This record gives sequence, structure tokens and C-alpha cells, in this order.
Amino acid sequence: MDAGSGIGMLENNNEEQLIQLQHIGKHYRLADKTLHILGDVCLRIAHGESCAILGSSGSGKSTLLNVLGLLDLPDTGNYHLNGIDVAQASPDQLAALRNQLIGFVFQSFNLLPRLSALDNVALPLTYRGIAPRQAREQAHAMLVRVGLGERSEHRPASLSGGQRQRVAIARALVGKPALILADEPTGNLDASTAQEIMALLIELNREQGVTLIVVTHDPLIANRLARRVEVHQGLLREAGAA
Amino acid sequence: MSLSMPLSSGPSAAQILLEALNSLRMLGRRSLLALLGIVMGSCSVVALLNIGGNAAAQSIAIFRNLGSDTLVLQLPPQPTGLDGLPLRLSVETLGRQTPAVASLSPVMTYGAAAIFNGRVGNANIIGADPALFEAARLNIASGRSLSEFDRKEAYAVIGASLAQALSLPDDPLQPGDQLRLQSYQFRVVGILQEGAPGMLLPFNANETLFIPMEGMTRINPVPQISHVVARANSAEEVIQAGEQLRQTLAQRIAGDAPVTLIFAQQILEGMQQQTRTFTYLLAALGVVSLIGGGVGVMNVMLMNVSERRREIGVRLALGARRRDIRNLFLVEAVALTSVGALLGAVLGMAGGWGYAQLSGWAFFLAPGALPLGIGSTVLVGLFFGLHPAIAASRLQPVEALRDE
Repeated sequence: MDAGSGIGMLENNNEEQLIQLQHIGKHYRLADKTLHILGDVCLRIAHGESCAILGSSGSGKSTLLNVLGLLDLPDTGNYHLNGIDVAQASPDQLAALRNQLIGFVFQSFNLLPRLSALDNVALPLTYRGIAPRQAREQAHAMLVRVGLGERSEHRPASLSGGQRQRVAIARALVGKPALILADEPTGNLDASTAQEIMALLIELNREQGVTLIVVTHDPLIANRLARRVEVHQGLLREAGAA
Repeated sequence: MSLSMPLSSGPSAAQILLEALNSLRMLGRRSLLALLGIVMGSCSVVALLNIGGNAAAQSIAIFRNLGSDTLVLQLPPQPTGLDGLPLRLSVETLGRQTPAVASLSPVMTYGAAAIFNGRVGNANIIGADPALFEAARLNIASGRSLSEFDRKEAYAVIGASLAQALSLPDDPLQPGDQLRLQSYQFRVVGILQEGAPGMLLPFNANETLFIPMEGMTRINPVPQISHVVARANSAEEVIQAGEQLRQTLAQRIAGDAPVTLIFAQQILEGMQQQTRTFTYLLAALGVVSLIGGGVGVMNVMLMNVSERRREIGVRLALGARRRDIRNLFLVEAVALTSVGALLGAVLGMAGGWGYAQLSGWAFFLAPGALPLGIGSTVLVGLFFGLHPAIAASRLQPVEALRDE
């Protein structure tokens, strides 16, 4: 694919494509050596798609996820998220894009230990300027949706791993994002809980049409998603449809 | 571009504050220790400012008794009039030439033993015009003051302490009694109220026997005018009155020896200047301890930030802007110091009260102490909280999240 046709595609497919990565490169300098983490990555993901990003550790898949989640900016290439050129955005605008378009699910849950489940879920809404009462109402509805309506006042420490990840998923979903970015979401869970969490994510993808990207090194997890791409030595290739 | 950038907005002030207080509660003992440092700092600023203020008020109160409209002129030793004889002054003529002066009296000083019913007291004898009692604010406790008609009489008004010293419980000195000065009998016509020893007047009224100036020759063959005590029409006119008197007197005295002008305001201002310096010195000491407390706050906030790196990363991922992160930690630092400032203010006022009790001063709330103490403490919190808060807000999301 050449750059010219890529731009043409962007203009035509703004409405369909949620993610457009074009020739994304990311490198780090370490003691006079340049380490290429991502070489020349091109990726398109449409609204409502579900996609697994596979790769062994050190392959660059975490860096790719950080770029996708606007937690890190690429050194080269273009990234359009929902038609918006990320390179043009100010730090505040990047924050607002993360807040409104993206929901993160982390391997280690990353709930704030001092807040109740309900307040953890309500947190993204407060960064949107929504009043606390309203935010808590929406957060409670989302906790009910993931099956934890009874435990909204619990602190994360008194919840099991599976329950914590459900809280994290509720937090990712509460802002009605276009995209869920899940980084090894089942990595810290036992096999049966992992199945439940994956089932929940896929159900949300199917029923609510939220785009789902899951980073994993586990082919069994990856196989449950519609599309798989593999990162290998900083390059991306399609791993075939399920 | 078909889609516009989303607008960014943040949590409300109340939410930020609530979260900060909650977070401080969770920090527990460590924030208590930082709080202690701030309390000590705020306490010492408030206490020292208040003690300084009370000390100033105390010393000024002593001088206030004089009245700030009183003035004293000190004449050169053995002043000689233009006629070559010892200086004589007419109160009436002087009064006409000095319109800003309300009342005035020349003063002659002498020391002699006063004997009452065989009891001897060392008296400071002042020969003066009757106007002295008004000019120097001398108040009569019993009997009467000297009047214009007493000029030729051997009458005297006696100070409270001297009267006390000459009295016995069963034989008190009373108006009408006779006192012997050298070979003359003087009749006591009045006793003065006990007053604060004035630092401005050339005599201590409590220890003094006042007699008409004309009577001085009876006990002192060569009486000399040493001072002129006067009172201006008002406190505002005191400098003008002093100048008028000084010039008039200088014209009547032979030679060019200077007439020195002393007025209460002068001393009062010097006094205020001195206590102001003293207060600033104390406040500076307080500020030093406050800075110590501020460093404690910075320490606890830096630890707080580094322990919550991951939380910062999560918040950034959830859509917090840099300023949201900065406010999060800044509000925590300011909340911590505000609590410390209030506790310190209460302790500081208590300390200032205790010090005033120990020193026997009147306690009052020095006007600047609370706002300056609390304000400077909160500013210190803001200043020392700013660095950790900005450091937190500069974290890149990916770096903050990477931290384990």
C-alpha cells in the first residue's frame, strides 16, 4: 500500500474507519543506539470490529497499544482516530479524546485502591465535568450491567480478581467510548474467570457495537475475536480470520 | 477534517477538594507529621506577631498617659535674660506669642527636706505657674490646685507618694496641714492623684511638692528656670506649638545655647519604630520555622506523588488533563497546610495569651497576627506544593503507567 492511496482511503472512509495507522514508527535511543520498537505499521480498524493483537513479549505490541490509546505518540507516520489527526491535538485535546473515545482495561486492573468500586467507575465521568450525583448514577447502572450492582460500595481490596476486572470494564465502558483497549485483560485471572471476562468483552462488542482491541500473547484468547493481527519485531501482519 | 476535536472539561472544585481531603486521610501518619511541622510554623508566626503587637501596645500605653499633646522645652543651664539677669518669663506674654499653645508653665527645680509633724521626707520641689497643673495633666485627689491668687502665698500641692511617705496611719497628711521647708511653713492645699511616672516631664509628680514660682526665693536664693512645660491646642498642633515656643524662648535668652524641644509624639514614634523592628524580627523567626514546615510538606507531597505514579497514569488514561493532575496534588498540599494553619493559629493565640499573662500585659488580638499568620502559612503550602504538583502533571502517561 502506498502513501497516496492511504490518504485517499482516509478521505473516503472517515465514517467507517475508527483507527487508521499509516507508516507508524517508534524508536528509543539507548546509549547511541537507536532501538526500533515499531518499524512501519499500517493498520485500519473499522467501527464495531473486534481485533486481537498478538505477539511475544518485546515484540512491540505494548508500544502499539500505547500509541493506539494516545498514551504515547509515534515518532513517524500518521494516526487518525475517528477521523481526527492525533498529531495535531494538544495535550488537553488528547486527554479529552482518551476520555471520550477510549476505554482502557489493564492486565493489573489499575483500580484506585482508595476509591469504592462505584467511585472508580465514576472517575472518567468526573473528568468530563459531569456532576457527582449523575456520574454515580451512571456508574451504578454500569456496575449492574457487569453484574456487580451489589458491590458498588466495596473497595477494590475486598473484591476478587474477576470482580476487579469487571469493575475495570465498567469503568472503561461508563463513558460510552467508541473503542475498548484491553491489555492482557485475563493475564492475572484463573482460566474460568478469564473465560467469563472474555465472554463479557465479546458480548459488549456484539451488543453495543463498541470496537474491541485486545492485546494478548494467548492464541486461545485471540481466537475468540473476529480478527487477529500479529506484531513481530516491530512489524504487523494479519494472522488470518477466525 | 470531518470530525472536530472534543472539548475538554474537568471535575468541579468541590469534587477536587473532597478527593484531596480523602487522600490526606489515607496518607495517615505521614501527613500528620507534615501537619505538625506546619502547625508549629503557623503557631510561631501567629504567637510572635501577637506577642510583638501586645508588647508594642504595652509600651505605647505607658507613653499615652502623658498625652501626645504635651511638650517640654529644656532650657540651657543658668539661662540669662537679655537684661543680663537670671531669666524670668511671663506666662501671659509667652501665651500671646504662641497661639498653638493652650497652656504653659516655666518650671524651677530644687531639692529640700520636707518636715511634717517631725517626719522628714526628701522632696523634689517644683516652683511653677498654676497653669502647670493643666499643662502637665496633674489631677487633684483632695483639696484644690494652686491658683492665680496663691502666687504670693506659702501654699503647696503635694504628690501622692510624698504625702504617703509623710503620713502615719493615725496621722495622715491632709489639705490644710502645715509643712516645713527649711525655715518656712507651707500650707498644703491639695494632694495629687497617683499617676504613672511620666518619662517626658522633668519631674516625677508623685514625689514632688509644687509651690508657686514666686515662692521659690524663700528656699532657694538663686532660683533658675530649667524647663517650660506646655500643652498644645491639639495633638496635631504639637509640632507647631513646640516650634513657636522654642523660637520665642530663644529670643529671650542671652547667648546662643540651644533650647531643646521634647514632645511625647517624638518619643512615641521612636518607640513605635523600635517595637515595629522587634515585631518584624519575631515574625522573621516565625517565617523561618514556617519554611521548615513547608519543606516537610514538600517532602510528604513528593513521596505522595512518587507512590501514586501509577494512579497518575491511570487518571491520565481515563482522561485527566495535566492541570487536573496538578490541581489534585496542589489542593492536597494546600488542604494540608490550611488545616495546619488553623490549628497553628489557635495554638499561637493561646501561646500569645499565655505570654501576655506571664508578662502581666493586657492581651488583645494583634490586628495583623491572624491574617498574616494564616495567609503566610497557606502561601508556604502553595509554594512548596507547587513543585511536586507540577512534577506530577509533567509525567507522561506511558511512563507513569509503566511504573510498578
